[in-house]
Amino acid sequence: MTPTAEKDRLKRQANMAFTIVHPLDDAPEEKVDTEHLGPMRMTRTVRLCLFALRGYLLLMFGLLGFRVLQLAGIVRR
Amino acid sequence: MTMNHPATKNTLVANPIQPIQVSNKWAAHALTFLMVFGPGLIVMEADNDAGAVSTYVQAGAQYGTHLLWLLLLLLPICYFVQEMVVRLGIATGQGHAAMIYRRFGKWWGRFSLADLLLLNFLTLVTEFAAIALVLGKLGIDPRLGVPAAGLGLTALVMTGSYRRWERVVVFLCLLDVAWFAIAFRVHAGSREWLRHTVIPSVPASGFTAGWLFLVIAIVGTTIAPWQLFFQQSCVADKRLRFSDLRWARLDTFIGAVFTILVAGCMMLAGNAAFQRHWDFTDPAQMALQLGGIFGPFLKNAILLLMINAAVLGTTTISLSSAWAYGEVKGWPHSLQKPVREAPGFYAVYGFCVMAAAGLVLIPKAPLQLIILSVQVLAGLMLPSAIVFLQLLLNDKEVLGERFANRRWNNLVNWTIVVVLFVLSLLLAAQVAAPRLFPNS
Repeated sequence: MTPTAEKDRLKRQANMAFTIVHPLDDAPEEKVDTEHLGPMRMTRTVRLCLFALRGYLLLMFGLLGFRVLQLAGIVRR
Repeated sequence: MTMNHPATKNTLVANPIQPIQVSNKWAAHALTFLMVFGPGLIVMEADNDAGAVSTYVQAGAQYGTHLLWLLLLLLPICYFVQEMVVRLGIATGQGHAAMIYRRFGKWWGRFSLADLLLLNFLTLVTEFAAIALVLGKLGIDPRLGVPAAGLGLTALVMTGSYRRWERVVVFLCLLDVAWFAIAFRVHAGSREWLRHTVIPSVPASGFTAGWLFLVIAIVGTTIAPWQLFFQQSCVADKRLRFSDLRWARLDTFIGAVFTILVAGCMMLAGNAAFQRHWDFTDPAQMALQLGGIFGPFLKNAILLLMINAAVLGTTTISLSSAWAYGEVKGWPHSLQKPVREAPGFYAVYGFCVMAAAGLVLIPKAPLQLIILSVQVLAGLMLPSAIVFLQLLLNDKEVLGERFANRRWNNLVNWTIVVVLFVLSLLLAAQVAAPRLFPNS
């Protein structure tokens, strides 16, 4: 870059103004339209995760049920 | 010549109300950050709620400074989990409940919402129980103080201005700086705390089941399910733009650091009781004991900070419920809307706050059972919420390449998911079937 071009660049930079707008005052951005995408594609990873989650929840509810039965005196401690 | 700042170059400036013009790039960065700042600090600091104060102080009182290393370990975990929520919120402009409902179907959507609402409500009861307890110690009748707190918290959100709510709540978050002064005042001069922060150490009593479950309780307290729902909805309500992502990340990181430091100070306050071999059942009792040595100012400061913690927890947890319910129901759900334009949203918030406040005032309410239920439900909720979060962050149909997880994100996050699964399972199993752990 020649000295003149560099001087011009610095001059331009000095005159620049940055406009800052609060997100709530700014125009809304176009986001991904999730409403019309439908359900997620059931890849092997997704299926495996949901299967593990179901197993975890069943186990937890089973444990809870067992504890409730214990407290009710139906299952011996 | 006027040009948009690079951070806002992707956005259209349509009738901005109060645009600010600066000529300095760094000033522009600082101002943009200040405008984006808020949700990250609030979600993190509000997690230091009444239950968290109790857990951290108890950890200090039982094990001194021996568990400080855990907080340091939890810092990146907090940040990574919440950073995913920020990306999802900015990319979609939607809340977490809405995303689960749309992408995983009605069954998982309803399950997550019901679990969240129930867990949040029970947690709110514990917040008001703390308020009632502290008001009693301050000589204020809880029958007057608790409904007044409920009404004040309801009025706080009903101004029709997100910014007004955010400014008040950020101010309340910053009041927690007082914990630094308390820790400095009560902590003995030794540098042991620094060593215990960076080097994990064995407590004098060794590794017991009690120690393990306190570790799990700290993890469960530091990363809570409502936080995921809250921050994503908050980011969506604040209408953060794609270009705000880096500032929102910084906000979240600052929030995580501040929260962990405050939690460390709470542990140091508990350590004062550990060094004196005091026994106490709640932090308010510890405050009274500390007040006997360090004066009434310190006692009142701890009691007021406990109320502040409960107030922060109440407004954020109730909002996460109201946002989630509004998203799933398709109701208008924004703090920017006046009550007449979003009656359902404000009704859910008001109902959560006032019902929890009312329940606390019922004589002989089963508060111990409620606290146990919070632990069990949190054990159920956290792993499922994080699994959905992780799957959504790999959903390139929604996020594209720009916002979806990278390979290293997945490696870190799946590790966190597995650890949380195991810890939550252990905690919930201990609560549901204590005889599985005879030494606890």
